[in-house]
Amino acid sequence: MTGSLSALGAGLGFAIGAIGPALGIGWIGSTTISSMARQPEMAGRLQTTMFIALALAEAIALLGFVLAFVLMGVK
Amino acid sequence: MNAIGPRVTELLDELMVHSLRGFPLTNYGIFLVIALILTLGFFLIASRRLTLIPKGIGNVAEMGMEFIRDNMVFDVIGAEGRPYLAFIASMFFFVLFNNLLGLIPGAKPGTGTMGTTVTWALIVFVTYNAIGMRKLGVFGYIKSFYPKGVFAPLAVYVMLLELISHFIRPLTMSIRLFANMFAGHVILGIFAIFTVLMWNGSAVGKVTAILPLAMQIAMYALEVFVAFIQAYVFAILTTVYINGAVHAGEH
Repeated sequence: MTGSLSALGAGLGFAIGAIGPALGIGWIGSTTISSMARQPEMAGRLQTTMFIALALAEAIALLGFVLAFVLMGVK
Repeated sequence: MNAIGPRVTELLDELMVHSLRGFPLTNYGIFLVIALILTLGFFLIASRRLTLIPKGIGNVAEMGMEFIRDNMVFDVIGAEGRPYLAFIASMFFFVLFNNLLGLIPGAKPGTGTMGTTVTWALIVFVTYNAIGMRKLGVFGYIKSFYPKGVFAPLAVYVMLLELISHFIRPLTMSIRLFANMFAGHVILGIFAIFTVLMWNGSAVGKVTAILPLAMQIAMYALEVFVAFIQAYVFAILTTVYINGAVHAGEH
């Protein structure tokens, strides 16, 4: 029983923790697209910056993923 | 329904690091060595006969190197980044070959375990700090974190934040690469389990098994994309950190 509770905690923890980064990644993508549409000649540099920002936002979600695996092991 | 639990446990256990009996490497270590041989072999073959207009493998290697040189190193660091091109390119191609090797069924990505990624992230951490220290000296480099012309307590606070963000870099870098590869393989494995369970389950299952199978094929395509993206992200973050060290104390 306690095992299944920690599994529930792990699942919920990752699910809630993924909301913020998901919104962030969507926002980064949409603003990059609108910037590229305004200034197509900057597209290359914007793409580089976009990937850096994406990686930073994604790291938060992945921290939650690792935390979920840590919680799974809690008895 | 109860059959899923033990199979998932078995899958996760399979993805952990195991030592192999009578063999000096772990199950991930073998694929690290294979990826190393593949990377070395790729570039040795590519540079065997250097002509002005490369052919075959040489063309692919040149395309990759030009991409790293122009779109990453020169764009981010500028012309001063030329000495670090070799380091960044090795990081990119070794991570890429490891990621791609892991996509072969039965093989594992060398990057799919924390041991590998933490080591590489620490190598990057030591390298870019060493570059900064060689440029400004040890004290000069540490002083470059202290913002000039700012109210003193606030400046100390900013410096603390900067230092924390620097020490968190190897952690996020390693977790990002590891978690992406690990999560991808868990997803692929779980859809494979679903497919097999549905196929073995009932007569209806023989038809509905097409759904997880189609999903798995789609996820596999996504994983190929992720393999490239993660190698790119690892290399571009290395470039950005080196850029911070090369231009430390200038702003």
